[in-house]
Amino acid sequence: MSDRPINVKIGENKDIKYIDLSSMKIANCVGCFGCWTKTPGKCVIRDDAAKVYPFIAESSSVIYVSHVKYGGYDSVMKTMIERAIPIQQAFIRIHQGETHHVQRNVATKDAVIIAYGNTDSEEQEIFRQLVERNARNMNFGKYEIVFVTEHEVEKTVQNEFKKWEK
Amino acid sequence: MIINGSPRAPKSNSRKYSEIFIKYSKLQCDYFNITKSNHHELIAEMEKYSDVVIVFPLYADSLPVGLLNFLKNLETNLPKNRPVISILINCGFLEYEQNCVAVSMIRYFCRHNNLPMGSVLMLGSGEAILDTPFRYIAVRAIKRLSESVNKRNYKDLTATMPLPKWLFKMAARSYWIRYGKKFGVSEKEMKRMEIEGNM
Repeated sequence: MSDRPINVKIGENKDIKYIDLSSMKIANCVGCFGCWTKTPGKCVIRDDAAKVYPFIAESSSVIYVSHVKYGGYDSVMKTMIERAIPIQQAFIRIHQGETHHVQRNVATKDAVIIAYGNTDSEEQEIFRQLVERNARNMNFGKYEIVFVTEHEVEKTVQNEFKKWEK
Repeated sequence: MIINGSPRAPKSNSRKYSEIFIKYSKLQCDYFNITKSNHHELIAEMEKYSDVVIVFPLYADSLPVGLLNFLKNLETNLPKNRPVISILINCGFLEYEQNCVAVSMIRYFCRHNNLPMGSVLMLGSGEAILDTPFRYIAVRAIKRLSESVNKRNYKDLTATMPLPKWLFKMAARSYWIRYGKKFGVSEKEMKRMEIEGNM
């Protein structure tokens, strides 16, 4: 799942899904709690996000590609991550010693986060802390963060993708 | 100047927190919501104030995207007179520490744009605290935040419900069951494991 187009060849493998968020129509989460309390598991905004979060939930391996801004995901990826809260319940569980939301049918996933842009060391440290928190809230079993410049994105994605093919 | 960065600003807890801040402030306070189309208007207003307090919820472990977009606009249109930026952030979890990454992001933004950073209040247990017997804890913390801005004696403050995690979990369950009832949705329905699919 990427915030910009990536030239990847998936071939016939139906277990792999490529999502270019930049080509989709995804509105900001309005914080209505509808996906928790009115239509549980389903966002009340019926745009492209509703096609994406079921894939996020069922995937056991993910590659997220995002530009970094102020040490966090930039707007395109952040918008989608916020719209993915239907995959959680309102209810709270105690997980790794902290209170977090209960997950619905969400596979534990190996995540590779390809974080691109001209990030400095401080931004990278904030981003590491962010993904460490995401791991608890987004059901990452294992994760790896790869910091790259924008022109290294395609090659890095292809390298990660080859690991899946092995 | 108070800027509400919640996506549901008019109906948000952040609005209620802002009202408490204003109640205890001795400075003139003016309140604004961030919308998709008012960034330039807000930035022009910022010129007039010594202090800006941004009040917002934690969203997916960091800043709500509406606030992020506002900051990106602010970065490219910085006011000549730069106010001190204070923040009040609230999360729905018991641990106020879960707000730390978002605070680091704001600190990073301020440092890189030469905006002085003022006070920080991190609140835990945000969604429900104002409707519980622990309301006074949130009110007291916001009063302290307000006083610190008034006196320009900036501080880092924290507050949450003094509950063990298991009890917070139970209290949250009751809160959300009541919330669902308003829409005729049962606890069982709220706990459905399916995502999308047939409702």
